[in-house]
Amino acid sequence: MTKRSGWAGLGVAIAVTIAPPLSPAVAQSSQPAPPYKAPVISDTGRLPGPRQPIFFRHDIHAGQDRIPCLYCHSTVTISSEPGIPALQTCFGCHQMIGGSTPSHQAEIKKVREAFANRQPPHWIRVHALPGFVRFPHQRHIKVLGTEGCTNCHGDVRTMPQVYQVATLRMGWCINCHVQRNVSRDCTVCHY
Amino acid sequence: MDRRRFLTVLGATGGAAAAVSACGIGPEPTEHLVPYVIPPENQVPGVATYYATTCRECTAGCGLHAKVREGRVIKLEGNPDSPINQGRLCARGQAALQGLYNPDRVTDPMARTATGEWQKLTWDEAIGRLAAQVKAARGKGIVFVTGLETGSFGDLVDAWMRETGGRHVTYEPFAFEALREGNRLAFGTPAIPWYDFAAARYIVSFGADFMETWLSPVGYQNAFTHAHAFQTGRAAPPAKFVYVGPRLSLTGMSADEWIAPVPGSEGLLALAMAQVIVAGRRAPLPADAARLRGLLAAHAPEKVAAAVGIAASDITRLAREFAASQGGLAVAGGVAAQYPNGAEIVAAVDILNYVAGQVGKTVKFGPNHGLGQAGSFKQLGDLVADLSGGKVALLLVQGANPVHTLPGTFSQALGHVGFKVSFSPYWDETTAAADLVLPDLHPLEQWNDSRPRAGIYALQQPVMQPVFPNALAAGDVLLRAAGKAGTFKDYVQGRWHELHQRFGKGRDFEQFWNDALQHGGIYTDAATQTVRLGPRIEQLGAGVAGAPGAADKLPLVVFPSLALHDGRGANKPWLQELPDPVSKITWHAWVELHPETAAKWQLANGDILLLKSPHGAVRAPVWITPGIRPDVLAVPTGQGHKAYGRYAKDRSFNPFELLSDAPADFGGRAFAVSVTVQKTPEHRRLATIEGDAREQGRGVIEVLALARARELKSGSHPFAERETPAYADKALADWADAQHEKASLGNYAGAHPRWAMAIDLAKCTGCSACVTACYAENNLATVGEELFVRRRQMSWIRIERYYTGGDAARPVGAVVTPMLCQQCGNAPCEPVCPVYAAYHTPDGLNGQVYNRCVGTRYCANNCPYKVRYFNWHNYAEPGGEWESWPDPLNMLLNPDVTVREKGVMEKCTFCVQRIRGAQNRARLEDRVVQDGDITPACAQACPSEAIVFGDLHDKTSRVAALAQDPRGYHVLAGLNTRPAITYLARVTQGAAAEA
Repeated sequence: MTKRSGWAGLGVAIAVTIAPPLSPAVAQSSQPAPPYKAPVISDTGRLPGPRQPIFFRHDIHAGQDRIPCLYCHSTVTISSEPGIPALQTCFGCHQMIGGSTPSHQAEIKKVREAFANRQPPHWIRVHALPGFVRFPHQRHIKVLGTEGCTNCHGDVRTMPQVYQVATLRMGWCINCHVQRNVSRDCTVCHY
Repeated sequence: MDRRRFLTVLGATGGAAAAVSACGIGPEPTEHLVPYVIPPENQVPGVATYYATTCRECTAGCGLHAKVREGRVIKLEGNPDSPINQGRLCARGQAALQGLYNPDRVTDPMARTATGEWQKLTWDEAIGRLAAQVKAARGKGIVFVTGLETGSFGDLVDAWMRETGGRHVTYEPFAFEALREGNRLAFGTPAIPWYDFAAARYIVSFGADFMETWLSPVGYQNAFTHAHAFQTGRAAPPAKFVYVGPRLSLTGMSADEWIAPVPGSEGLLALAMAQVIVAGRRAPLPADAARLRGLLAAHAPEKVAAAVGIAASDITRLAREFAASQGGLAVAGGVAAQYPNGAEIVAAVDILNYVAGQVGKTVKFGPNHGLGQAGSFKQLGDLVADLSGGKVALLLVQGANPVHTLPGTFSQALGHVGFKVSFSPYWDETTAAADLVLPDLHPLEQWNDSRPRAGIYALQQPVMQPVFPNALAAGDVLLRAAGKAGTFKDYVQGRWHELHQRFGKGRDFEQFWNDALQHGGIYTDAATQTVRLGPRIEQLGAGVAGAPGAADKLPLVVFPSLALHDGRGANKPWLQELPDPVSKITWHAWVELHPETAAKWQLANGDILLLKSPHGAVRAPVWITPGIRPDVLAVPTGQGHKAYGRYAKDRSFNPFELLSDAPADFGGRAFAVSVTVQKTPEHRRLATIEGDAREQGRGVIEVLALARARELKSGSHPFAERETPAYADKALADWADAQHEKASLGNYAGAHPRWAMAIDLAKCTGCSACVTACYAENNLATVGEELFVRRRQMSWIRIERYYTGGDAARPVGAVVTPMLCQQCGNAPCEPVCPVYAAYHTPDGLNGQVYNRCVGTRYCANNCPYKVRYFNWHNYAEPGGEWESWPDPLNMLLNPDVTVREKGVMEKCTFCVQRIRGAQNRARLEDRVVQDGDITPACAQACPSEAIVFGDLHDKTSRVAALAQDPRGYHVLAGLNTRPAITYLARVTQGAAAEA
C-alpha cells in the first residue's frame, strides 16, 4: 500500500489527459454534430440541485469539453460505486488551466488551494439510495453501455449544477426492469 | 397453503390490526461525499482487496487472507496457500477483528503518576522514559516477558536483552511442557513433532483436544477429516477415532468410542496397549524396542485394568485395532498432559506410537512445532521468585497476561519490581499494574514474522493503517529506545534477506519479497528426522501411575476453553457470545458434573457451588452433563477477568485461582486439582442455547453404523422412506404440480439456479467456526448475556448438540449438527407474512426483505426449525442501551449487507451478497457462474470442509452429487418443507453406533 507523491501522480494525470481514459470500457463520444457551448450563468440561485462547495460545472466539462463520464467516474464499469474523482484528477488539468473568466478563476482557485492544503471538498451527495438497497452500477453499465448514465442521471452534460431528475424510488426502478424484462426479484437488490 | 388463502382466512377469523411501523420514515439526512486527495493505487471503492498475513490469536500460526474494503479490514479468511490451515479458519481467528477494533484499546502511551493516576505522554517522552529506565536498571535485573515469538520480534527482544544485560522469558499459559518433557524422556529430544492425522488409519487421543487449543487446531481438524470422514465407494474404511479422557470434550464428541479412565491413569492405559502389541508381535518392532519389554510386562492389561478403570478385554481390543490398522496415531495432551504425571503419560503414549512403528510415519520429528521453543511454567516460576526477591528492577511485558493466569502470586511479585512496562494494546490485568504503557499495534496492523513449524516462515504485514493512530509497533519502540536507525519493517526485511539467500531461487530480493508477501510466507517441507528411544526410558514405570486423589475431595479438571483460550478471547463479544461447543453456555463459565453427582447433591442447572482448592476458591454455576465421569468435575478457562475491557471485566470466575502456582515435575502447570464442594443458596440462569439435551426421537441427526454405510450403493436412499409416508403421496404429487405451474409465471419462468447446500455430519465436529464466520460476514448483532438468557440471540447458524446413549446398552456419546435456515422449497414462513417480506425467490432462496418487514413475527412462529431471529432492540444505535458495535467496532461491518433495525426479522440468506457478487462478476466477464465461484462464509471457514454450497440445477456441481448421496436426508422432512439443505448422516464405528 504505497502512496505516490503528488508530483509523480500528476505525471500520470497529465499523461492520461493526452491518452485515452484508463477504464477498459472506453467511452466513445457520440455528441450531436454542433459542438455544445456551455452558457454563461449569471444567476446561480435559480439553478436546481444542491449548491456544492466548489461550483463544478458538468456542462462545461462533460458537455463543452466532451470529457467522457468515465474519465472521472472511472470505477462505474467494475464496481457498484461509480467513484467520486480524487482531487488529483481535478488538479491534473487545473494546475495548468486557470479559468477564462473571474468567476471561473475563483472556483479553480478553490481547487488548487484544496489540493495544496490536502483538504478535499465535501461534496453534497445528490443521488442517494437508502441503506437497505444494493445498487450495482457495473451491471447497469454493462447492459446500457457507458453512454447509459443519462438514463437515470439525466442529461448531465447540460447541467451547470447537478440535480436529481428521476425519483429513484423503487417503482421507477421496477418500471424500467419490467420494460426491459429483467429480474424483478427482491433479493437482487435488497439483502 | 398459499399466501392469498392464508390472508383470507386470517381476515375471516376476526382480522388482525395492521401494525404500522413507526420508524425511519422521512427524508434521508444530507450525505457528504469526500474524495481522496491522491487515491491509493489499485484500490477500487466497492471492490475488496485481499492481503495475506498471519493470525496471531494462538500459537498455531495459521495463514490469513484479510479482506479489505475502503481501507478497513472487514473479514478474515484462511489462506489457502498455508499448509498449516489449508485456507480454513477457526472462530478465534475470525474474532481477531474484534481485537483490532476493540473499543477498550489503549490509545496513547500512558504513565502512572505519583498519585496513581494515568497521564498521557507523547511517544518521545514515553520512549525517553523507557530508555532512562533501561539505563538505570542495568545490572539490577531487566526481564522482558513475551508470548511465543519465533520470528523477528523475538530475535529483536533477544538482541536487546543481550545488549542491556537482561533476559527474555517467553510465557504461554498452554505451553505443553508435558509434551516436551515426555518426548525428552521417550526420545531424548524436547521437540514437539508434527502429527500427520491425514495419513492415520486409527487415532487415539489421550486428552489431546486437537480441534480446540492443542498445538494447531485448524490444521489438525482438517487433516483429521481427511482420515475420518466417510466417502461412499472408498476402498479403505475411514480411520477409527478413540478419545480417552475424563470428560467428553469437543474433540471427544467426534470419537467413535469414548474411553473414560480414572483421571491420571491414561499413561497406564497407553503402556498396556503397547504391551499387547509387543507381546503379540502385532507390528514390526523397531530394534531397540526390546529394551521396553520389562517395562511393558509390568503394565499388561490385567495388571492395570483396576487402576485404569477399564476392562482388560477392552484394552486388549483397542491395542489390537490400533496395531492392525497399520497406521495408528496416538496423541497426548489436553487434560492428560496436565496432571502432575503429565510428562510420564506423554512418554507412555510415545512408546505406544513407537512400538506400533508409527514414529517417522504419523509422528514426524523434523517439521516440529514452533511452540517447542516457548518458555516453561517453571521458568515463569523462577521469574516470580526473582521478582518477589526484588531481583528485577525493570520488567517489560508484551503479548502475555500473567496476572490473569497467576492471579495471586504474580500480582504480589509485581509489587517488588522497580518499574513495570506493558506493551499491551489492551487494559488487561498486567497492564493495569504497570507503571508505563506503550500500546502496541494489533498483529493485523504491523510487520512481523513467525515460524509456526520448522520449514514454514510465516509473514505478517499490516492490512490497513492503524485504527488507533497513536499506537506504535513494539518493534519500532524497541529500536527507537535502543537508539537504532530504521523501522521494525526494515528489521524484518533484514532477516528476510537471509532467507532470500536460502530460498531465493534466482529471484532478486524485490521479487522474492513480493512473492512471500503475496503468499503469506515461505512454505517448505522440513525433512523427517529419525529418533530412537531415550537413554532412561526403561525407568518410566514409577511415575506413570499418578498420585491417588484425596478421599474427601473431588478431582477438578480445568480445561481450555475453545473460544476464550487462556483468557485472551474474553474481550471479544463474538467469542463471549459463541456458545461453548459442548455446554452451549455463553458469557459465563460453569462447573460440569454428572447427573449422578447432581442427584446425590440435589443440584439443578444454574445452582452455584463454592469450589475450594488449597490455593483459592471460586463460585461456579452448575451444568449437568452425562459427558463426564461421575467422580470428576470440570471448569473452563477464560473468564474471571478483573480488567481487560467492558466485555471481559468482572464476569464469572477465574479457574486459575484454584490452581497451584508451583510447577509440576515436568516444568509445566498441573491443571487438575482436588477441590471440596459446598452448595450455596445462590442460583444463576445460564445464558445457553440448549433446549433439550436429547433429540427425543425427532430425527434431527441421523447416524449410520459404518457397516451399514459401506453397504449403501449409489442410488439407494435409506432415509427416503421416512420422509414421504405413503398416505401423503397423492397430496404431494398435486402439490408438486402446482409448484411446477407457478414456476412458469413471470419472474419465475425460465431456467434459474436452485441454491442448495450439503452438510456432511461425518465431517462436522461442532467446532463452531461457522458460527463466528457468519457473525463476521453478515453483521450479526451480539446481544449480551441478559438478552441471551431470554433467548434473544441472533446467530443465523447454530450448532445443536444432543447426547446419545448413556444406558446399559450404549455408552454416552454426542452428535452435532449445524442448524440454519433450510431455504425450504415449501416454506412455512412464506405464506404467513402479511407484507411479502418473506417470500420465495426464483433461484430457490427463502428471501427476507428487511425494508418490507413490519415485525409480525409470524414467520418465526411458523418456522419448524426455529432459525428466524427477530431484532428486539436497536442493536446498531450508537450509544443505545443494547449497542452491539460501539465505536470503532462498527468498522468491521460488512458494507455489502444491510444492518438491520429494530423490529425486523432476519435469518440466514445463504450469503446472498456473495451469490449476487459472483453473479455480477460473471456477468462482467461474460460467462456463467461456475461451481465453486460462490462460497458462503460458513463453508469457507469450516476446518472440516463439511459444508458444500452450489447450484442444484447444475448437474456437474458437487452439491448436486452430494444431494443424491445415499447417506443424505432432510431434517423434519415429514413436514413437507422441501429444504434445500441435504444433511449426510454421520457414520460411526465401534461402540457409539445408532443414536
